[in-house]
Amino acid sequence: MRAVYHKELRSYFYTPTGWLFITVFLSLAGLLFYLNNILPRSSDFSAFLSMMSYVWMLLTPILVMRLMAGERRGMTDKLLQSAPLSVASLVTGKYLAACTVMLIAVTLSLAYPLLMSACARVYPMEVLSGILGFLLQGCAFIALDLMVTSTVRNTFSAAALAFGVNLFVWLMSLMTSSAAMPAALTRGIAFFSLYERFIPFLSAQLSPANILFYLMFCISMLAVSITMLKLERARER
Amino acid sequence: MVRAEAVSRKYGRFLALSGVSFAAGSGEVIGLLGQNGAGKTTLMNVMAGCLAPSEGRVLIAGHDLVRSPFAARRALGYLSEVPPVYPELTVREYLQFCCRIKGVVRADEKRHLDEIIGLTGLMPMQHRLIGQLSKGFRQRTGLAQALCGDPEVLLLDEPTAGFDPAQAVAFRKLIRTLAKGKTIVFSSHLLHEVQEVCDRVLVIHRGRLLVDHDLRQAAQSNRYRVVIQGEPERLLSPIRQLSSVCRVRQENTTAGRTRLVVETKPDETFAKQLFHLLSAMGAPVLELTPLRDTLETLFLQATGGEEGKE
Repeated sequence: MRAVYHKELRSYFYTPTGWLFITVFLSLAGLLFYLNNILPRSSDFSAFLSMMSYVWMLLTPILVMRLMAGERRGMTDKLLQSAPLSVASLVTGKYLAACTVMLIAVTLSLAYPLLMSACARVYPMEVLSGILGFLLQGCAFIALDLMVTSTVRNTFSAAALAFGVNLFVWLMSLMTSSAAMPAALTRGIAFFSLYERFIPFLSAQLSPANILFYLMFCISMLAVSITMLKLERARER
Repeated sequence: MVRAEAVSRKYGRFLALSGVSFAAGSGEVIGLLGQNGAGKTTLMNVMAGCLAPSEGRVLIAGHDLVRSPFAARRALGYLSEVPPVYPELTVREYLQFCCRIKGVVRADEKRHLDEIIGLTGLMPMQHRLIGQLSKGFRQRTGLAQALCGDPEVLLLDEPTAGFDPAQAVAFRKLIRTLAKGKTIVFSSHLLHEVQEVCDRVLVIHRGRLLVDHDLRQAAQSNRYRVVIQGEPERLLSPIRQLSSVCRVRQENTTAGRTRLVVETKPDETFAKQLFHLLSAMGAPVLELTPLRDTLETLFLQATGGEEGKE
């Protein structure tokens, strides 16, 4: 797994993918920081993070699109299949590499609250809780996108599919505020919504249930990815 | 080291491989020949564990590829038809990755990498990005990848595709060097290459193994073309009576020269007996050439004959 992790991390920064992700992430973060904090002269970091949570929908497909599809396109899947490497190690290594790139981008964006703390009052717990929730939400989106793209052969199809699924997740979360929906259905959607679960983090409510939900969500998505890949290999077989 | 037992492989209803069986031991180099679409790559993929057989099984170093895949794959190095390389990595980084996924011990990694890079002639290219290499060097990188972990079995699918003539010669030398202590199976379209490098040749046609031919035995020819100055009536009978001769066939006679094809017993006394006989008869030998079936003849007989039946 470590070998796959290191190789993937290198590949992110030896190709434009990692740089593109970080550049677009920081550009959008800068724009949203300006709109939410500098322009209205507000030190409310949660408003910034709340807007940033929609950025995952656009950006995680960039991180995930070549993870599996790239192996098939470059015919390197033959190398991985003929090596003594388990599917679980492969998927986990790739997932952790994508999460690391995301972590680097989020760490760099911490410059904004630090900058803000120099000239305004910032509530550290609120910031830390928000960042934790933001990271967990990002990890969940990466796991979801990795799962939906695990058997796709073309990188652009993988990106399009991941974006489509992310959009669907967002639209579903919008339905939780619809009065026309049956309450039970709304509650069900809210329970599984990656957006609804993030809201308590913004007000420094570190609920173990929400943290556990994100962790379980990631593990489940990885497990499904591993199963799908194994099934695909068995079908090829 | 490698054993295929009645291996069949279906793609939907299409039977790509049908009951292929063979075994190869340590130190053997096996050439896999066949026309395009004959099933060579499918057989390679099955033996590499990338495809499971629909029927039958493959054993690598005694391990069943389906039942004990990790043990089998540890003993296996595979170079697929398209070298499985990452263009964004340097040659050394790529090979380091390959060593790690193949479980090379970290303490031995540097020495092992240097050895492989030296063997495959990649030393001047080791810090270059694979994406910037020529096709030949990419192919060599793919070959180096197959050598990572010092596997007992090497499967090479058209390994010389993209090599220039000098690289192809160097490759053939390398294969002979590597063959000591390993089993190598390689597919190729180049018959002379297979004849030069391999100990055995397998000819696959329409998914079936038609020929399993030992080139080492074939190299010890028992047939000779003999051209003698003299009339056939005088020569044929005494030659037939030599103890090492099985059959004599007269080809033609021109200007007092008799051309014969002589089939002998597998001993080395024929040439000596013939020279003694003919010098006593005052009939000089003008030519004595061992005849060997060329691989081309063998291949065309196998594949052409099969087509004729169908």
